[in-house]
Amino acid sequence: MNWRRLRTLIRREILATFRDPFTMTILVTVPLAALLVFGFVLSTEVKGLRLGVVDAARSSASRRLIAELGAKGTFVPQPFNTRAALEAALVAGNISAAIVIPPDFDRDLRAAGVARERPQVQVIYDGGEATLAGNAEGFLRTLIANTSAAVLADDGVGAGRGIEVVTRALFNPTLDGTPFMVSGTFGFVLSFLTVLITAVSIVTEKITGTFEQLQVTPATSLEILLGKILPMGAVFALDVVLMVLVAGLVLHVWPRGSVVFFVLVSSFYVLVSLGLGLIISATSATAAEAVQKSVLFSIPLVQLSGFAFPIRSMPRFVQWIAEVFPATHYIRVSRAIYMRGEGPITLLPELALLLLFGILLVGYALRTIEARR
Amino acid sequence: MTGRRRSFWSNVAAVAYKEASLVRHDKALLATVFAQPVMMFLLMGFALSNKPADVRWAVLDQSNTTLSRRLVQEIQATGYFVTPRPVWSHEAGRQLLLQGDALAFLVIPKDFRRNVERGRPQVQVLVDGSDPLQAARVGAYIGEVVARFDLPHAAGAVAGASRPPLAVSAAGPVDMRQRFWFNPTLLDRTFFLAALAGMLLTNLCMSVTSGGLVAERESGTYEQMLALPTTPIELVLGKLVPYVGLSYAVFLFATIAPGVVFGLWPHGSWLALILVTLPFVLASLAVGVFVSTLAHTSAQSVFITVFFILPSFVLSGVMFPYQFMPRGVREVGGLFPLRWYQIALRRIIERGAGLVDVAGPLLALIVLFAVILSAIRWRMKPRLG
Amino acid sequence: MSTPIIRAHGLTRRFGDFTAVDNLSIEVLPGTIFAFLGANGSGKSTTIRMLIGLLRPTAGTIEVDGIDVIKRPRKVRDHIGYMGQKVSLYAGLSLRENVEFYAGLYDLSARQLAQRWGALRERFALGDTENEKAEDLPAGVRQRAGLALSTLHQPRVLFLDEPTAGVDVHNRELFWELIQDEAQAGVTAFVTTHFLEEVDYCDWVCFIDAGRLIANAAPETLRQRHSEGCRIRVVLPVEEQARCAEVLSAVGRPLGCDATSLQVAVAALDPQVLAALDAAAAVCPQAEIHIEQTHMTDVFRRVLAESGAAI
Repeated sequence: MNWRRLRTLIRREILATFRDPFTMTILVTVPLAALLVFGFVLSTEVKGLRLGVVDAARSSASRRLIAELGAKGTFVPQPFNTRAALEAALVAGNISAAIVIPPDFDRDLRAAGVARERPQVQVIYDGGEATLAGNAEGFLRTLIANTSAAVLADDGVGAGRGIEVVTRALFNPTLDGTPFMVSGTFGFVLSFLTVLITAVSIVTEKITGTFEQLQVTPATSLEILLGKILPMGAVFALDVVLMVLVAGLVLHVWPRGSVVFFVLVSSFYVLVSLGLGLIISATSATAAEAVQKSVLFSIPLVQLSGFAFPIRSMPRFVQWIAEVFPATHYIRVSRAIYMRGEGPITLLPELALLLLFGILLVGYALRTIEARR
Repeated sequence: MTGRRRSFWSNVAAVAYKEASLVRHDKALLATVFAQPVMMFLLMGFALSNKPADVRWAVLDQSNTTLSRRLVQEIQATGYFVTPRPVWSHEAGRQLLLQGDALAFLVIPKDFRRNVERGRPQVQVLVDGSDPLQAARVGAYIGEVVARFDLPHAAGAVAGASRPPLAVSAAGPVDMRQRFWFNPTLLDRTFFLAALAGMLLTNLCMSVTSGGLVAERESGTYEQMLALPTTPIELVLGKLVPYVGLSYAVFLFATIAPGVVFGLWPHGSWLALILVTLPFVLASLAVGVFVSTLAHTSAQSVFITVFFILPSFVLSGVMFPYQFMPRGVREVGGLFPLRWYQIALRRIIERGAGLVDVAGPLLALIVLFAVILSAIRWRMKPRLG
Repeated sequence: MSTPIIRAHGLTRRFGDFTAVDNLSIEVLPGTIFAFLGANGSGKSTTIRMLIGLLRPTAGTIEVDGIDVIKRPRKVRDHIGYMGQKVSLYAGLSLRENVEFYAGLYDLSARQLAQRWGALRERFALGDTENEKAEDLPAGVRQRAGLALSTLHQPRVLFLDEPTAGVDVHNRELFWELIQDEAQAGVTAFVTTHFLEEVDYCDWVCFIDAGRLIANAAPETLRQRHSEGCRIRVVLPVEEQARCAEVLSAVGRPLGCDATSLQVAVAALDPQVLAALDAAAAVCPQAEIHIEQTHMTDVFRRVLAESGAAI
């Protein structure tokens, strides 16, 4: 390993990258855009959900129930006169859920427990929007149960309450979706963008002939590899810092754990991703092909890495596939640091795994750089 | 007048024919056309779900009575949870949450049994709020089981006696009958697969056209093309035509595969589906063409396209509910053709709507197409001047 | 007789069923310009890539400057310079920055670089464009820059793969002058090209067709073997013609004459003919000597035809 040669290679890479306006634009705008886009995307907060209501009872209890449902803006009750109108609205997608309160609601409620059927409230969800419905379900059931119980309690008709459950969220008590998505966005950007940019860069060099020229110089494959990924790694590390700042200042999401540790781990993961980019470039003839391959590869990577969809909810077999992606582990680590403030000690196994991936990928990439022999 | 119109269409046809033969030889494109749809179908159909599963949780059962144990069992019986990890202190449970080894931590206090008799039982649940969606649902599931829990009351329940036929022993004061229309078991798969056509077509249309024009510009045939006696509109339409055919092939796959494999056939009108697909495909293709007028190299154009597809997927509502996005963001999402298409798709496929019901989205798509087309015209004008 | 600086024996390269290079054996003497000619797809680039260690031959041996290229491809890199078909200048960097980049890779000290680049810049007429971005350089300048870079570290052997492709005739001439200067200084140049006329700048030429060597000789020799010789026209006034004719008759061929010139057809420009021409020039100083040779294209065609028949 000749340090002068390495320095020469690194210097050139940095010069070329910083002078390419297109690459620089992509490197800055894409991570920021991703942050902003994803930051707003996931909200478990059920808010302003249009709830169709057919109130056949029109009693104080039923009105109270409806008022309570709309109280915090969780649901926006919309009255309908007939059941048919309600159903039509559901089909048209104008309302996301509906409740039908029976005519004897009040009486049944108060008399419940004494030789009377409990009042039956029908709740219909628009299952066409499954995610939405799933989120709404929890809220709605709890609200209805609590409100009804409250109504009874106030009337002194305490028919013996059920068990009271106090639920608290450790980390992210408001269950705000933004920190979750923000911490995942790092994984997305550093997996996707790195692979893309490296692949294109190398393929372009192959097409212009500079790569071949490099192989004829005394530079070794290792030097060429490091001369490529170290500067790119540094550039992306700056990107990470930028993202942390923007996430903090604009979205008000700061890592719970150590920022330095986070940047270090992220930088290492970048190197791993860059290795992957090198491998893709070795198998592509044109830049467009490299991009298409990167995208094709990144789709399952993003979907399965736990970025947006929980891995444990996937079939066993798929979970194993997910574990093969380095991105999965990095996202786990970045979420652990951002949301739970975990430190290097507890994250050791994951970090070791990332290291292993890094060695394997970079080793393979090294082989692809060796002149074709 | 007729002569001119005939020339228009024959020009379009000529350009279309040339484009089609190019497509046939583009291996990378064909790979994308075949590989991506299958991959996304597999992912959406088999892998992705928001429903909690195999949830790891911990229990600190300080009461340790038949009652408390039954509560734990009932929670586990919901099927969402694995066997809970017993812990012996608050700290131990919190530690598990801290390390991401458990999503929920249930604490049953020591005097649970006595509190039941007194009529004021309470338990505590601590959830890992990192993944708020999971946290909310898991919390709700536990909460629900707890609320439903069959309590033997001091006044009248005798161990082993027949249960009172009425209310108190059952869940809360209200009997909630719950139904999920259009998706009775609330499968996320149904939700995702309904919009599969939208996702695949967006990918296809934008990648395809953005590569095309730029490649021509690079190879020099672009100038050649401009020298032909065709108007820009004829050029653009001619280029788009073969891809429309390809798009419909992909659309058929996206609509039929879920039906064949999962039995998820569209409930609504096929005609509506086919009709609403057209302006969407045209709009997406047009976006691709527009992108290609912006890029100088083919690598650039693919870059730009990819970064247009991304927000399109995220903000349109195919994967994440758009209804909950902040006001401004939601509106921005409306600028993407995919938003309107997925609304129409879900309405028709899941809710069985007809052509009339999707008139709104259909109109929106046509308007978007017209707008993008004029943007293209505006970009191409100086070059032909 | 000096030892060859490039020695390839039985060089073969197969890609699956396709044989790109078939049992090629060549020797290049130091300080010579060796032209390696062939049509596109004939195996030229494959051969050169094997010679510089970028590609491993399926069979055969290669020795460059005493180094076994197959066994130790890395070792040969300090000894050779390479200029590929696409001149490999990094876009975004100026010419000067490109020079500094390669200087760094070849471990040239600052002083060495200053000296070497100073001289090259002068000779190759690159001073004006030193600070321009590589992508802005005109084609002729790019070629010269490529050559300069390949010889920056003063290697003993230069491998130039179609160095004059895409360059106009005038710049091509300049370029070849530069190569010839290098050869004069003792550098060996191995040049592939498909411009047949360029052969005349070289000391040795070998033709390759479909991976096989079909000619391997000095250009003159080939001309001799495969053409009808040259026509020499000495332009001078009638009064002088007699005197000149006497000298030229030493050539031993019938002389023709007309109002303006003497003509003679010879088999080749061998020493005897050249001596006679020198003498004629001495005797009649105002005489203009025009030599018409068979076009190399025709020579090549004949070589091709001959080898085709042989096969």
